Amino acid sequence: MKIELDRPRCEGHGLCEEAAPELMHLDDDDDLVLDVVEVDGTALDRARAAVRVCPVAALRLV
Amino acid sequence: MPAHAAVSDIDLFADDILVDPYPTYTALRDLGSVVHLPANDVYALTRYHVIRAALGDFETFSSEKAIGFNPMVNEALQGTSLASDPPAHTQLRATLSANLTPRALRGLGETIEAKADALVKTLAERSTFEAIDELARAFPLEIVADLIGFTGDVKANMLRWGQAAMEVIGPLNQRTQESFPIAGELYGWCSQVTAEDLAEGSIGRGIFDAEARGDIPAGSAGHIIHQYLGAGVDTTIASIGNIIALFGRHPDQFAKVREDLSLVPAAFAEVLRFWPPVHAWGRRATKDVEVDGVLIPAGAHVAILFGAGNHDPRHYEDPDTFDISRNPVDHLSFGYGPHGCAGQGLARMEAHAIIRALATRLTSLEVDGEVRLPSNITRSISELRVTATV
Repeated sequence: MKIELDRPRCEGHGLCEEAAPELMHLDDDDDLVLDVVEVDGTALDRARAAVRVCPVAALRLV
Repeated sequence: MPAHAAVSDIDLFADDILVDPYPTYTALRDLGSVVHLPANDVYALTRYHVIRAALGDFETFSSEKAIGFNPMVNEALQGTSLASDPPAHTQLRATLSANLTPRALRGLGETIEAKADALVKTLAERSTFEAIDELARAFPLEIVADLIGFTGDVKANMLRWGQAAMEVIGPLNQRTQESFPIAGELYGWCSQVTAEDLAEGSIGRGIFDAEARGDIPAGSAGHIIHQYLGAGVDTTIASIGNIIALFGRHPDQFAKVREDLSLVPAAFAEVLRFWPPVHAWGRRATKDVEVDGVLIPAGAHVAILFGAGNHDPRHYEDPDTFDISRNPVDHLSFGYGPHGCAGQGLARMEAHAIIRALATRLTSLEVDGEVRLPSNITRSISELRVTATV
């Protein structure tokens, strides 16, 4: 599956990075960078956790 | 063919329910995930999954003329980010949250930590202190005052203005009636406030500078100040009071944080899950919608019960146990979706700083004399005596 970011919704809360630091991170401008987009297996589980925890529903899996 | 919702004759805003809503939340949750409450003319959403789904579905569950439980406040909130749906919501939200993102607040981190530590240190030296006025209220009021640049007379009014702003979101009961004039004072002040009224270098002054530059629409600075105060005071105060009370009731949990400060965020998440500051918040169904097999008719007013969802055993195992190791990052207390609390970054900064200060400065903390007074929307402790050992 692919991780998709609805960028206008993102406010840099960073809960996603806490949930899945190997998949995404906030850069120096606090913009979210998706380091990994295609995920399966354990990475998919972590991606699900990140999607789930985003307080503003800016992430989804397609 | 969807079924009719279960019905309950309870009044969501009765005094005894406001003080301790949890038995009522359980009863409603057991009746169904959607329960019609004729006394309040609302459909209450009670279970975790329907609440989260509704908050994420703004097209079906609109915030227009829906947030509050009386028509006057919904009228007054028109045009604010709170009471708008996308697409109108998007820009309003962006201007509001620009100053509240973790990045925007990064510069305040050290100050917030230092102030929390200094306050707890001073109180701890007394060994017995009243924790609500002296800590739960004092700390957020100071932080928000500094942030917005409030000084003098205004600072003295922040608490009652913040309380009234939340109270008037309730139904047209006596509490709401008494709070309307006070909420009106806040609104009036924010309508005429100018840059010069706010301290130089403050974020509040910065918002006026942005308006002068044309970065944000003319006339919006006052509205933003109004929302920061209305939303950012009463709720944070409630959460800090709750932190102290819950650590006092659960010394084993406090000990865990003292031994491992990396648990601070998990502790706050569990405090919020266990006792969300907000009792009920509104939405309106834009069309007939079937929720868990039950019909909510188009136009129906919907009441989101965050505390009911947070204690739903279908989502959280043993939900009535306070356990910081649970780390419930998906609790409902900041809402969810497009209207997820814009100030949650600041709330976390304040609360984490207080928890860290308590955990590093105190070896034990006992509480008694807990008083809760009924309030329509915000559930908070009004008095709490703490006996602490350093």
